[in-house]
Amino acid sequence: MAKVSVLNVAVLENPSPFHSPFRFEISFECNEALTDDLEWKIIYVGSAESEEFDQILDSVLVGPVPAGRHMFVFQADAPNPSLIPETDAVGVTVVLITCTYHGQEFIRVGYYVNNEYPNPELRENPPLKPDFSQLQRNILASNPRVTRFHINWDNNTDRLEAIENQDPALGCGFPLSCTPIKGLGLPGCIPGLLPENSMDCI
Amino acid sequence: MYLASGGDDKLIMVWKRATYIGPSTVFSSSGKLANVEQWRCVSILRSHSGDVMDVAWSPHDAWLASCSVDNTVVIWNAVKFPEILATLRGHSGLVKGLTWDPVGKYIASQADDRSLKVWRTLDWQLETSITKPFDECGGTTHVLRLSWSPDGHYLVSAHAMNNSGPTAQIIEREGWKTNMDFVGHRKAVTVVKFNPKIFKKKQKNGSSAKPSCPYCCCAVGSKDRSLSVWLTCLKRPLVVIHELFDKSIMDISWTLNGLGILVCSMDGSVAFLDFSQDELGDPLSEEEKSRIHQSTYGKSLAIMTEAQLSTAVIENPEMLKYQRRQQQQQLDQKSTTARETGSTASVAGVVNGESLEDIRKNLLKKQVETRTADGRRRITPLCIAQLDTGDFSTAFFNSIPLSGSLAGTVLTSHSSPQLLPLDSSTPASFGTKPSTESVASARPAGDSVSKDSVNATSTPAASSPSVLTTPSKIEPMKAFDSRFTERSKATPGAPALASLTPTAVERLKEQSLVKELRPRDVLESSSDSDEKVPVAKPSSLSKRKLDLEVETVEKKKKGRPRKDSRLMPMSLSMQSPAALTAEKDAMCLSVPAPALKLPMPGPQRAFTLQVSSDPSMYIEVENEVTTVGGTKLSRLKCSREGKEWETVLTGRILTAAGSCDVVCVACEKRLLSVFSTCGRRLLPPILLPSPISTLHCTGSYVMALTAAATLSVWDVHRQVVVVKEEPLHSILAGSDMTVSQILLTQHGIPVMNLSDGKAYCFNPSLSTWNLVSDKQDSLAQCADFRSSLPPQDAMLCSGPLAIVQGRASTSSGRQAARLFSVPHAVQREATLAYLESQVAAALTLQSSHEYRHWLLLYARYLVNEGFEYRLREICKDLLGPVHSSTGSQWESTVVGLRKRDLLKELLPVIGQNLRFQRLFTECQEQLDILRDK
Repeated sequence: MAKVSVLNVAVLENPSPFHSPFRFEISFECNEALTDDLEWKIIYVGSAESEEFDQILDSVLVGPVPAGRHMFVFQADAPNPSLIPETDAVGVTVVLITCTYHGQEFIRVGYYVNNEYPNPELRENPPLKPDFSQLQRNILASNPRVTRFHINWDNNTDRLEAIENQDPALGCGFPLSCTPIKGLGLPGCIPGLLPENSMDCI
Repeated sequence: MYLASGGDDKLIMVWKRATYIGPSTVFSSSGKLANVEQWRCVSILRSHSGDVMDVAWSPHDAWLASCSVDNTVVIWNAVKFPEILATLRGHSGLVKGLTWDPVGKYIASQADDRSLKVWRTLDWQLETSITKPFDECGGTTHVLRLSWSPDGHYLVSAHAMNNSGPTAQIIEREGWKTNMDFVGHRKAVTVVKFNPKIFKKKQKNGSSAKPSCPYCCCAVGSKDRSLSVWLTCLKRPLVVIHELFDKSIMDISWTLNGLGILVCSMDGSVAFLDFSQDELGDPLSEEEKSRIHQSTYGKSLAIMTEAQLSTAVIENPEMLKYQRRQQQQQLDQKSTTARETGSTASVAGVVNGESLEDIRKNLLKKQVETRTADGRRRITPLCIAQLDTGDFSTAFFNSIPLSGSLAGTVLTSHSSPQLLPLDSSTPASFGTKPSTESVASARPAGDSVSKDSVNATSTPAASSPSVLTTPSKIEPMKAFDSRFTERSKATPGAPALASLTPTAVERLKEQSLVKELRPRDVLESSSDSDEKVPVAKPSSLSKRKLDLEVETVEKKKKGRPRKDSRLMPMSLSMQSPAALTAEKDAMCLSVPAPALKLPMPGPQRAFTLQVSSDPSMYIEVENEVTTVGGTKLSRLKCSREGKEWETVLTGRILTAAGSCDVVCVACEKRLLSVFSTCGRRLLPPILLPSPISTLHCTGSYVMALTAAATLSVWDVHRQVVVVKEEPLHSILAGSDMTVSQILLTQHGIPVMNLSDGKAYCFNPSLSTWNLVSDKQDSLAQCADFRSSLPPQDAMLCSGPLAIVQGRASTSSGRQAARLFSVPHAVQREATLAYLESQVAAALTLQSSHEYRHWLLLYARYLVNEGFEYRLREICKDLLGPVHSSTGSQWESTVVGLRKRDLLKELLPVIGQNLRFQRLFTECQEQLDILRDK
């Protein structure tokens, strides 16, 4: 059971010019105080074709998080146009907001973003080289796509103890879905724990 | 009303419906998936070290059981989460199903180890393990949900084999015989679920009203994706539905009325089947059902319902008014607490007098942003609401839709306490869904979104004709879709799930094992070296040991800490050789052929005695400090909260005792001296008939037990004798019996705890020894008064009786005895007898607090069980004569409590049972008359 659930993400200042910062007002609920910070990221997908063009616009730590409802505004600078393939600059792309706890991603909120020229002339005859100063960014705020992943919320130290305290006689029945301990050199792998993938979208 | 869910995260979560929150939508669901109900987690139960496979509430809701792949079953105290009552170990495989006996006497579990085990709730021990029908079982099923029939006669297992065919084994309660089974499924049976109702044949109009035998109805779900429904009165299934799902059936739940059935499958879908009464029969009412239970098993907690009283005729509106008043009070309490939480919520909603809207406007400016040591941004989120019961104000809630993850987990019926166990925290799937599948299923959804989004973008931004219309642009959209669901490489710690094969898992486990072993090795080696140390330096060790011994001796000396100054337990079991010398020293006239000789304290050079820790008070004795003119003097020093006094006595002091009111010492030559707390001598020395054995003080009472086994108690303030040289011969009749504990209550009643577990108190008014406690008493073992216990944990009633009897008698294990082995009528009598003896013992001990406790408990039991005569007698005695006559022998108080006040306390208890409405009104009216006088 996830300790943190996102209640709402409000897209602020939308639509806005391409160069203005992204602003998301995120409210979330936490049902147990967290020992560590949450890490939020905004990822701008430069091109649908490849993750190569993904830009992490910003990442922030959010904490401390006691039990309760919280909100904050996550502001990140606009993507660097020079890293976006020219053919993909205008049109539809995606911006992702992810949150990780102990390095494990548990929620991903995705929005379609439409970059276009508000000027009808430019729209009819777009310049060969995209003019970012003229582009307008429109986030499809009404249609977020939320994917939730199942992660291990417990403290890693707790987990170690739990395993050590296990009755060796019962060890044979150790579950297949055993969540591995982080810090064993395997970066947060969770075999057996498949993503919840609770797509809440239509 | 609670709901329990078990997940593959090893947790059991207990949920409560939040009534103050209206329906809400899930974030990102576009308002389509409204949560009609809101549930809040009230407890998280952690004990299992693996996935939780099944959860089950016991029939009387006192316990919650859970089973897990860690091979255990855990019984939780549902009244006091997260207390664990028992962990049932015995299975050697993953435990995959649980069911309670409908009368609460047993719990059964089925596991992958090819066994079905039945456990007793009396002592949480194994009753029987059934393996034969499961010998042939190969392969694994995801779950093994077994079920007990509502009449309690049959237990039906999941996956069993008979002649290499999959069956559901029927196990008879009587002797655990396994002669019958449900046959027909082509693959292993995963779930069996009995209908909660017992049915009887529908009577057709005109046909002879021949009473037919009641029968049960059972649904069986299997890996072969089909569902069968059976009636125990039919040889063939009532209905079989083939290919109901694409995958194995995972769980089944009947609706409370017994006519609907919910079935869920691993394929992620849920089916609802609706039956008519013509098909299943007439369900018996709850009263009829409990009558069947009572006739078979006697009265049990699970059976007792308020419904039984629904037919009573109300004779006096007072009674109802009273009951309503009680309810109103409860409601008031609730609403005040609700208001309190509501106000805190609104306070939180309006932080520093700002509305949520204001906060949102200025959030960016207001939020605290810092830099961590490594230069990263860190935002402190603004807390907008506390989280507890979830009773938030609705207005606030509408502005922020509730989360989706809460919604996903719960899909069971809300009102019933017996709940559909959720198998994993994955919504609707009851198991883990392979990722590939879910991604695949997400894709088509994504496509429709992209089409939707075309419309959506064009509507708000009407000025812009959509760019998305060209097919070439739709292609990348599909590529985007995967980005929504797959963890990106840009996020550290996002695992490539598909690539992990089981071998990788194994390798991982091995690694963790190695890690786990290493510290152990270190530990072992270090302990080895520890052992070597003493060999190398035996002298130092023995020295250390000596030090230790000295310490313990000192502790023993000081070690009589008393929290409760009324009582002074002390052991008399040690018999030191010093005692013999003391005897000689004492120069006593030897008691003529004493049958009994109690140990005596030896003369010590000096000793310290702590009388109480709060206020801190201790006595120091130093013998033979000074010699004045040939006589040796002993010094007695007493310190109380820093104030000290001291005095000298002739002759050596053998033992001392003190209380808040007096300090007394016994010296050689059988002399007993008593001092006030300030050190003033209260009496000339008392000459004891024989040397002292034990001395005790409580309040102003001094108790002396002599070596010749006689007991005396004096009240030194009032200067009267309470107990005069009472011989202990009668209670120490047995040859090798010893006194294990002596108490002196604050009312000066001496209590002897003997080594055979019996405890006697001396009743000064009757001059008799009364048996107040017997550990071997079988009455206490069969007594069941759990139902009469007040809702608060009042078993923690402390007092002399509780000390004498020990806490063990109230342990939950003994409590569980209520449903056991004895016929119900016998048990009821035993309970009555036990409670009566408790009341009488408390009365004899003059422990008013305990007397009140046990009297109320007794009365509550009488009310619950409907014993009118005894209840009436109690009320009569408590009420006394309404019109006072001079010749009345009636005492208005009992052990310092006003009887009529007790009766007033009793009335609400009586008022709970409509059957006693006359008694209630009588007492009420007479009390009113008395009040008016």
